[in-house]
Amino acid sequence: MSARFTRPGAGTPVPVRFPRIVREALDNGLRIWTIPYGAIPVATTTLVIARGTGDDPADRHGLASLTGDLLDEGAGDLDAIGVAEAFARLGTHLDIDVGPDAMTMSSAGLARQIERTLELLASVVRQPRLEAADFARIRELRVNRLRQLSRSAGTVADRAYVSAVFGDHAYGHGALGTTRALEATTVDDVRGFWAGHIGPAVATLIVVGDVVAVDVAAAARRVFDAWDATIGSSRIDRPVVAPDRRIHLVDRPGAAQSELRIGHLAPGRSTEDYHALVVLNAVLGGQFTSRINRRLREEQGITYGAHTSFDFRRAAGSFACETSVQSDATAGAVRDVIAELGRMREAAIAPEELAAASASLTRGYVRNFETAGQVARAATQLAVHGLPDDTFDRFVPAIEAIGADQVLDVARRHIRPDEATVVVVGDATVTAEALTAIDRPLQASAPEF
Amino acid sequence: MLSVPYTRATLDNGLDVIVHEDHRMPLVAVNVWYHVGSKNEQPGRTGLAHLFEHLMFEGSAHQPDGYFGPLQEAGAALNGSTSPDRTNYWQLVPAGALRLALWMEADRMGWLLPALTQARLDTQRGVVLNERRQSYENRPYGLASFTLMSAMFPPSHPYHWPTIGEPADLEAATLEDVQAFFARYYHPGNASLVIAGDVETRAVLREVEELYGGIPAGEPVLPVETPEAASAPRRLVMEDRVELARLYLAWPSPPLFGADDAELDLVSDLLANGRTSRLYSRLIHERRVAVELAAGQTSRELGGTFQIIASAAPGQTLETLEAAIHDEVARFATDGPTDDEVERGRAQAETAFVYRVQALGGFGGKADQLNAYHTYRGEPDAFQVDLDRYLSATRASLREAAARWLAPGRATRLAVMPAGTIETAPGDAERVEGGRA
Repeated sequence: MSARFTRPGAGTPVPVRFPRIVREALDNGLRIWTIPYGAIPVATTTLVIARGTGDDPADRHGLASLTGDLLDEGAGDLDAIGVAEAFARLGTHLDIDVGPDAMTMSSAGLARQIERTLELLASVVRQPRLEAADFARIRELRVNRLRQLSRSAGTVADRAYVSAVFGDHAYGHGALGTTRALEATTVDDVRGFWAGHIGPAVATLIVVGDVVAVDVAAAARRVFDAWDATIGSSRIDRPVVAPDRRIHLVDRPGAAQSELRIGHLAPGRSTEDYHALVVLNAVLGGQFTSRINRRLREEQGITYGAHTSFDFRRAAGSFACETSVQSDATAGAVRDVIAELGRMREAAIAPEELAAASASLTRGYVRNFETAGQVARAATQLAVHGLPDDTFDRFVPAIEAIGADQVLDVARRHIRPDEATVVVVGDATVTAEALTAIDRPLQASAPEF
Repeated sequence: MLSVPYTRATLDNGLDVIVHEDHRMPLVAVNVWYHVGSKNEQPGRTGLAHLFEHLMFEGSAHQPDGYFGPLQEAGAALNGSTSPDRTNYWQLVPAGALRLALWMEADRMGWLLPALTQARLDTQRGVVLNERRQSYENRPYGLASFTLMSAMFPPSHPYHWPTIGEPADLEAATLEDVQAFFARYYHPGNASLVIAGDVETRAVLREVEELYGGIPAGEPVLPVETPEAASAPRRLVMEDRVELARLYLAWPSPPLFGADDAELDLVSDLLANGRTSRLYSRLIHERRVAVELAAGQTSRELGGTFQIIASAAPGQTLETLEAAIHDEVARFATDGPTDDEVERGRAQAETAFVYRVQALGGFGGKADQLNAYHTYRGEPDAFQVDLDRYLSATRASLREAAARWLAPGRATRLAVMPAGTIETAPGDAERVEGGRA
């Protein structure tokens, strides 16, 4: 065979250095992180508030995210449309995302607009109007959004899964809440959540981009220095929830496929097993060539794709396999996934499989830090989880140090097929009979929207 | 001034090669476009271009075990996609893995067929049928776009059918079909290769000559013929498993880079995208008769469609939305936008274009855009020229574009009704099913 037909090697790995974070803090507690990065005149501005849907009161699911939606519906001198127009004149818009542990407000704009962007952002968090009429309008949109999502198989599956796995714990509901909870929510609840949870003591401002010419900290100080709010405490305990090993079947008559979630509780981001779990996931289902995607897609062709992931939250996490399979293959796919979870616990992975997973994680790591937006998202993780600055620089050596015995050890402790919850959103007339043959209780379910 | 400098060369077998140096990160994007998409298919064999794209990842003569493994182990991200007009493949790799990525692409460009077996075709046929179920059939409103396109373009026009294909056609595709498709469309003269990132141009060009120079040339691919006559506007209704009725309005519009293409893109934002848009203000914010809105100018090589989509608030009829939308479009076509609206549109275009030259790889990264401009305009570095189309738009040009293209009588209308409520649909519509008009 000529040399031209011999596959070249992967080449020399390139080192990863996370850019330096210039840290300052205001007297009110606001942390200001500036990360000069890149030669393109962009600046990504992110304000991270370490409060999220985990802080929703038990009878007000959806409050954190409704508050997020309402913050930029009028602030200071600007009404709801006025705020949106002000960002649009800068060529950008404000994204407000509310997750389990944090609310992030971000604007991807040009570097020369950074001062005006900070002014607008400060106005949104410090002086939101939170008016009753805007509240009623936004709540109505939210209720209609929930109605629409109740027909989306993936969203239905996510809801059923998170409530089965986390139960009554603060992480056991979706960000958008339920119609019932929203109807009980008042504008005063929103004002209360804003006053009690959104303030400088729990906030980090992250500016990434071509910001050499601007004194970001001085600009931030001008608009955030007088930000004054007394923030209540947030306490999210580790969940204590009995495993729910049932198959929850959500009937969707006429469905073209079955949407599946299979998984259980897992550790939070601070676990010492983090790097071993990342390697485990790469072997099991994190990549195209992982075991589960190979088995369901590349061998059987019964799905467009199947993957697994750990959702590492602050106080705890969850592990899940997600896929959508053709209806007549539903029970078989459930069996196959559970079998693959079990196989991770039975024997150490082969050296070649470990090497391949490890290499893809370490050699490809540099790709995560190409753009200002990627660096901002990474820095946001540091802020949300309180991780040290060298977290990303330590990733490659930490992954390289993981051996097959460690992967087996964390698999035996953290992958528990016998305790896994199975959610099937599909046509019961096609799937139920075969599912009853699996040795698990079959439960008809209908998650609340 | 946006500038993405490049060097372009053409090999003897017809392969266009474009190299762009960017040394900010130790990364290289390798991006290949084949100028073939679902527009090159024949009725009865729809979906073949996309099914073929799947087979490109299953292995080739000298790497028969599949495409993903060696590249993932080298730290690559990789993917591909098929549109009506083209098929693209990309990998973003650490700089040291450039030769591997180039070699992998060369092997499947030149020597795919020995590894393409009946078993692989059958498996990927299953995968694609499941992709169709997941992305369209099992999704609320998932078949609406198919229905609209089949109504907008007559059966002899290649935009009449969806890129994912009709299930019966996918079932019917044979090994001979895919082999013939490869021979006709997958050769160097119908492809272009972009390498962007931490590379040295002369060394890369030498490597490309070495790896791709021996791939045989193929027959030139002739432009696709399209029928002269466009479809007449229609009024359609379909049922779906959804909660809220939704209205789709679609107008025939200019092709990619045609006159008024950029103007209509801006018009779509000003009319219906985001909270600053006119229809958001009127229909969602003030009157509260709609709950979701979107608009877009989708422009392709052989033509375009301009769409406005609105979901009705509970208790509101689609007639209300339709009348209000035509009313607002007519006001725009008469008075044009305000100076402030034009300024906002320009500002957003500038930001979007600057952000587009950040990432090297992936869908829409610099390498992908160099290939797009090369394929559609013959000039890879058309970034500033493209942006200038947006920056030169005026109140008058936007008003005129709306007036020229968006008259109510030119619009095809599709009403998607929640199952069981079709009797409340607008009364003047023909009922359609299964994503076909």
